[in-house]
Amino acid sequence: MLSRNLRFLSRRYSQGVTFRTTETSPSQQNENQIGLFYTVNNDVCKQLFGHGGLPKSYMKQTKTFTETSLMVRLPALDIINCIKATDFDKPVIRYMLYGEIGAGKSLTLAHLLHYAYEDGYLIVHVPWVSEWLRRVPRHKEMSNSPTHEGLVDLPLDGAAWLLHFKMQNQVLLKKGNLKISKEYVWSKREQTPEGAPLAELIEHGITRVKYACDVIDALISEIKILSNSKQCKTFVAIDGFNTFFYPLTRLSTPTKKKVTPEEVTLTKSFMELTKNDWVNGVIILTADQLGVSQDHQESHLPKYLLYKKGFEHIDPFVPVEVGRYSEREFMSCASYYRDRLWLRGPRETEGELKLASACNPYKFMELCAPL
Amino acid sequence: MYLIFCHKSVILNKLIKMSLFIRNYKPGVAYNAQILWRFNSTTAETVKQGEDEEEFRVLDILHKKGKLQKRVNRRADIQPDRSEKMPTDQNWGNVWPGPRSFHPSSVPLPIRQGYVPKGQAPPGKKANAELMKIPNFLHLTPPVVKSQCEALKKFCTSWPKLLNSEEAIEKNYPMEIISSDYCHASPTIRNPLARIVTLRVKLSNLKLDSRARDKFLRLVGDKYDEKTDLVTLTADRCPVRKQNMDYVNYLLTACYHESWTVEDWETDKCLEDMEYYDFDLNPSKKNLVNWYLMSNNEDNNLNDEQVKNFDVSKIPNGVEYKSAVSELFNEGESDLALNKYDTSVRKLLGLPEKKIAN
Amino acid sequence: MSNFRYKVGPIAKCVFQTQSPRSNLWCTLMQYRFYPRPTSFPDYFQNPIFRKEDQAKLIESNELTKLAALPVKPPAAYETSSVYHDPLVSKLINHVMKMGNKKLARNLVEKAFENIKRIQIERYHLATTPEEKAKVVLNPKDILHKAVENSKPLLQLLPIKRGGITYQVPGPITEKRSLFLAIKWLLEATNDKERTIHFPEQFAWELLDAANNTGKVVKRKQDIHRQCEANRAYAHYRWQ
Repeated sequence: MLSRNLRFLSRRYSQGVTFRTTETSPSQQNENQIGLFYTVNNDVCKQLFGHGGLPKSYMKQTKTFTETSLMVRLPALDIINCIKATDFDKPVIRYMLYGEIGAGKSLTLAHLLHYAYEDGYLIVHVPWVSEWLRRVPRHKEMSNSPTHEGLVDLPLDGAAWLLHFKMQNQVLLKKGNLKISKEYVWSKREQTPEGAPLAELIEHGITRVKYACDVIDALISEIKILSNSKQCKTFVAIDGFNTFFYPLTRLSTPTKKKVTPEEVTLTKSFMELTKNDWVNGVIILTADQLGVSQDHQESHLPKYLLYKKGFEHIDPFVPVEVGRYSEREFMSCASYYRDRLWLRGPRETEGELKLASACNPYKFMELCAPL
Repeated sequence: MYLIFCHKSVILNKLIKMSLFIRNYKPGVAYNAQILWRFNSTTAETVKQGEDEEEFRVLDILHKKGKLQKRVNRRADIQPDRSEKMPTDQNWGNVWPGPRSFHPSSVPLPIRQGYVPKGQAPPGKKANAELMKIPNFLHLTPPVVKSQCEALKKFCTSWPKLLNSEEAIEKNYPMEIISSDYCHASPTIRNPLARIVTLRVKLSNLKLDSRARDKFLRLVGDKYDEKTDLVTLTADRCPVRKQNMDYVNYLLTACYHESWTVEDWETDKCLEDMEYYDFDLNPSKKNLVNWYLMSNNEDNNLNDEQVKNFDVSKIPNGVEYKSAVSELFNEGESDLALNKYDTSVRKLLGLPEKKIAN
Repeated sequence: MSNFRYKVGPIAKCVFQTQSPRSNLWCTLMQYRFYPRPTSFPDYFQNPIFRKEDQAKLIESNELTKLAALPVKPPAAYETSSVYHDPLVSKLINHVMKMGNKKLARNLVEKAFENIKRIQIERYHLATTPEEKAKVVLNPKDILHKAVENSKPLLQLLPIKRGGITYQVPGPITEKRSLFLAIKWLLEATNDKERTIHFPEQFAWELLDAANNTGKVVKRKQDIHRQCEANRAYAHYRWQ
């Protein structure tokens, strides 16, 4: 028994490959820490990713490993570097993360969210666009939009997102510096006056689900005004942005007519947000093959996934590729899995797994599961 | 004799009884094994004795024995084959001047032809029906062909000296007409495939301006190969080759002249119809211009015409960006094109260079 | 319980297996490929030796030259020389497979292993003292081996007819049959599950229970043993 414990300990130290780093602040990380894992605080984790943001398979892993740790990788460091070097008086710069399925785009986005949180940005984060447009249970709560003619509203999704927004930006909203610039009249008895704090607008949207999408519209215009007037710096992160440009959604009206993304109010709101007519912010988007149907998943390159319309909408943008693991990253990941008791076996397994998974992070995780 | 006769009758009786027994044997009934055994042994003994005593008479219905004595009369004065006497330096063209069925004694070759099961040698040339059935080309050996060509030469002119390279031929004879002839080992010389005519011409040899070229390519469709720059028109709709040739020539002339005529509806060509990506006409330019003006805090009141005419070189790193975007759309997306786009955008927006893993 | 063991000793000697290491015993059982139907290979073809350690043994004992001259069947797709090859796991996947759907069978078994691993890691983290932590088995293959071992019956009941009455007589059991029964009982127990619970989860629970000497399968094995003990008197009917 004791010998077994010793075996575990000795295994940990005799790996020869360090995989952890104590530098937990993303703004302080640099190239020395590429391939190393850093742990995110549990409270921060719950605050940022309470309503989504991390992939489901990853959430299962966090439960098994009893900690949330992310690997420091080159694309994330690249973008952080660029953000630090940007001039915030110029219009917002858009970054597009792209890569194969399972390369780590969503987790890179999570890393950047952590950085934004530490740096005090106002975070606007859409965890997964397909959730709204393509994950449709038997009957999706849809309603015709009251303000925009002929467009469709998703009230429950809108309210859920507002809750998510509130949780992520608790600290900034509590400070109370952010005030809205004009009055919004919702109905005869409900209105939000000028100069009220942003939190009140959000509360209204959460309680009155009917007006959730209109509240989102108002919120986005307010955020733009606030950023332009330098009252707060904004960090926009949208995962699966190419789903907005795919010709079909899985939604259909009660008359069985298929709905295109352009007819959904949420699409319009986030199109407004991703235009580069405001300053003092950063926009990070991901183009994911899994966001569209199987027939259109031929290539993972951004221009193919975004279609001409999407490309022109966010042109000029900085494309950042999220690739597979390098040698060092792979060994580091394997050591981490061994440490967390997820992988076991003799040394030759790593060579075999490297070939079987082709260094794709998701495949590697899947292959280690039964071992 | 009397004894034998008696024996025979006994045998016969027993045989008859045995055969009756065999015929009327019913399985399942209990037969006395001892009696049967006795039956068997006696009949076997008596049969053997009978053989020793008399020869068995063989039946001869067809009278084969009488016929064996007949002799076949053959000629005694057959000459040896002509092929044995042929000298090796003879003129074969004189021996086999024209197409003729195979004649084994005139051909001095040890040919074997025919299918046989494994192990056996194929049949020889004498009296070989297969060799006689198949067409032979013994009248067209290389020396004979050469002498025929020599004879034809006085009716031909020489190959033009200046057409000594592929480029010269292409320059002077840009159009190629391809047709096939077919030959059968059968009474007919007809083949329906012989009517097909193909015309090949390089697009660069046709005088077209850019608009006409675009129209021509749309008319011709997938008969144009981009890699070799060849337009291939094939005709097989008429029964006669001459007619197909005329049709193919007509097609080329019609397409050429059509592509030069300007129709009214051609002015309605919109952005989606463009076959290549023009940066100035597309929204990308508008984005660039808007971004530039906004980053310099200038007012943005330009309309479409002014945007089109905006000089890209005024914007720092603008020309590089324009070429990168055009390449992305025209050449197709690839890692290289994306990298180029990436570097140009970073320069444009003033961001640091992309980090490469060491 | 110990009494029973000594009494049954002579009959079941052939069946008692020791705690031998994985590779030896299973190898000899599992590598024997016998097909009753005619296959594309005639009978004189040898079975392949695809594990590196077996090949090393052959080289040491100088038998490789003899085998190299004989015709050899090619190894099947699941017979790899990888580090993770386990003949018992292959056999299990074959038993789980239905209608030749090996992909699905392998997927289910792998998910079951993953579930076992997650449950065990949770238990490991909940255990407080190092002794307790050391007791928790984390490798799902070890759990599988232990479970199969614990659910293998040592005797079987043979129906023997004497004087018009069929008696259930305790008799010996071969290694192969005992292994087959163990795997069959495990799968039967898993398939008696609720509709909403998935096969891998239920299978994981069954394996963990069996490895712990509790659960339905071990109970079934113990029932068989009890019946054998009860029908001890009829044992001589085998040799009438």
